[in-house]
Amino acid sequence: MAKLTIDGVAIEVPDGTRLFDACTQVRGEALPHFCYHPDLSIAGVCRLCQVEIEGAPKLTIACNTVVRDGMVVHTRSERVRRAARQILEMHLINHPVDCPICDQAGECGLQDQYMIHGLYASEVAKSDKVLKLKAQPIGPHVILDKERCVLCSRCVRFCQEITKTGELGIFQRGDRAEIGVAPDRQLDNNYSLNTVDICPVGALTSRDFRFQKRVWLLRSVPSICPGCATGCNIRIDHEGGQVWRLRPRRNDAVNGPWMCDTGRLEYKRLHAGDRLSRPLVRRDGELREVEWREAWPELEQRLTAGKGKLALANPHQTVEELWLFKRLAGLFCGEDLTAGCLAGSDAAEGDQFLLDADRSPNRAALARLGLAARAPAQAAAQAVAGAPVLVYGGDPALADPALAAALGAAELIYFGTRLNATASRARIVVPLAMWAEKAGLFLNRQGRLQALRAAIARPETAREDWRFLAELLTRLGAGPQPATLALLRAEVGAAFGLPAAQDLDALPAEGLVLAPVTGAPAGGGR
Amino acid sequence: METTRIPAGTPVPGRPDSFRDVIYVWEVLRGLGITIRHLIRNCLHMKDLPTLQYPDEKRVYGPRFRGRHRLTQREDGSPRCVACMMCSTVCPAGCIHIIAAEHPDRRIEKYPAVYEIDLLRCVYCGLCEEACPCDAIRLDTGVYEIVADRRDKFVVGKEFLLNERERGTL
Repeated sequence: MAKLTIDGVAIEVPDGTRLFDACTQVRGEALPHFCYHPDLSIAGVCRLCQVEIEGAPKLTIACNTVVRDGMVVHTRSERVRRAARQILEMHLINHPVDCPICDQAGECGLQDQYMIHGLYASEVAKSDKVLKLKAQPIGPHVILDKERCVLCSRCVRFCQEITKTGELGIFQRGDRAEIGVAPDRQLDNNYSLNTVDICPVGALTSRDFRFQKRVWLLRSVPSICPGCATGCNIRIDHEGGQVWRLRPRRNDAVNGPWMCDTGRLEYKRLHAGDRLSRPLVRRDGELREVEWREAWPELEQRLTAGKGKLALANPHQTVEELWLFKRLAGLFCGEDLTAGCLAGSDAAEGDQFLLDADRSPNRAALARLGLAARAPAQAAAQAVAGAPVLVYGGDPALADPALAAALGAAELIYFGTRLNATASRARIVVPLAMWAEKAGLFLNRQGRLQALRAAIARPETAREDWRFLAELLTRLGAGPQPATLALLRAEVGAAFGLPAAQDLDALPAEGLVLAPVTGAPAGGGR
Repeated sequence: METTRIPAGTPVPGRPDSFRDVIYVWEVLRGLGITIRHLIRNCLHMKDLPTLQYPDEKRVYGPRFRGRHRLTQREDGSPRCVACMMCSTVCPAGCIHIIAAEHPDRRIEKYPAVYEIDLLRCVYCGLCEEACPCDAIRLDTGVYEIVADRRDKFVVGKEFLLNERERGTL
């Protein structure tokens, strides 16, 4: 441990701590900085985090200094303030100050620092500024504005150290120095949008989000990416009932501060067409929109206990939903005829970093709930013509033509969100909520329970999955069902063998790792 | 300050109504007298009348009067607006709707594909013009006659606001 004094406050930190982090601890806010990033190497190029260390002849950058016992540091002295202001003025010499058209405005390091440390009148005329290339696409997702760049080199270090692809570099010298892509390359790795996140200014912006919304209008909800089994922690930025972008949220146990581009663009599927909003019932060979009061008797009649031949869930549903669905399926067709998913569904190519080959967020929960996978052929054999079959979400008809034919011939009841190939073959279609519209838990590939939160509202006539399932169970005579999500979670927690004191409504920030399953899978329905 | 609540139905203190008050005729005649006095005075001094013969005569407002909005133009006639959304952010009535798009000129970069103002919602506070970093919106037309025969006509678009001077009414 090293004992030092920062701004008159004595503090003890472990040896090897960066002075930057020690200062953050004392100040409660970070020192001004552009180039420092806790997950990247130290570059020390922006010179903004200079502090005064007693005994040192000059100001020292805190990011590249390790604490020493007995250090006396000043971060708010007049000398430090003046230095920050002068450095900032240097950074802004050739900056175009085009904030009105810059997507970064509102979450920009330059804007923030200028309001704190700058507030001087510029001594550089606009006509004297060095002009550089603006609005240049450098890859499928990223657009580069060289004028706005402060050459902090975060993006360059990201591509060298995190993705190890090395597409970016700093070219030229002096005030002509600029970020650029290596000759004949593109910034086309699957993590390229992280450079947009770490860019402290508006030099790198997202082509997808470009000009869509001003950031100060967005509201943010912490949630979990539904794109693959990794379960990266994200923020859903939404406004006006629409999701505009997803951003990674730091969780060092899962994704660090990063996420992949595939997951980041996952929100687009929320607003794709063919959304189900009203219950559909097949009448005279056609699916017709009906009111819920008409749909309920149809559902009760077709889901009569013990008549079903197949119930098929899928790993995109939350833990709570799967738990209730398992109970429903047990009533409907018995556990032998219940399947958690189709074998090989959602398989795609993964990488060694965050993107998993399993593109479903909750497959681990299926195993834990004892919902086994079925081969499509096996599922097709179970779906007997004329017999009731229940499918919950997904589009299994797309997976296999034989299964599609069998589902078409069976009396298919579909719970889901889209009028896809499966839904269009159904007798009854029930509209439910999509992942950004509901709360729930996902169990990722590490066996870590993480909480999904609702960001936007579902269509008024669609139901929240667990409420619908609970009501259906009650109507089918399965006895009283949990009345709140908290009670439902308590049931699930007990089934997972968690202590009763474990509140699943308030998971730890890093998620809750479940102990590996030993012996028989957790017991299912009542 | 503390206020005391007076229960409903409490009689108002004062002089009790006299016979003259009750028959009302005296007060009617007295009121008519005042009206006739004004009529005669106005007929003799027409110049002092505060009434304007609108629409033949119109009141002249000061140069800082905030009338209907207009969008200023660049030299080539395109809007100066860069769709930064400052105006729609600051607008207390939420009456400005902008959809931004990519401008073919990289030096301009961003322009409003849609710029709509709902004149019925607008409170003419002028905050939009104050917030604008490009002097693209002004309320200096002096137009206060904002009339139309359908509600949807009050939502005016970019074309209208740009060519405001040529267009008289909605």
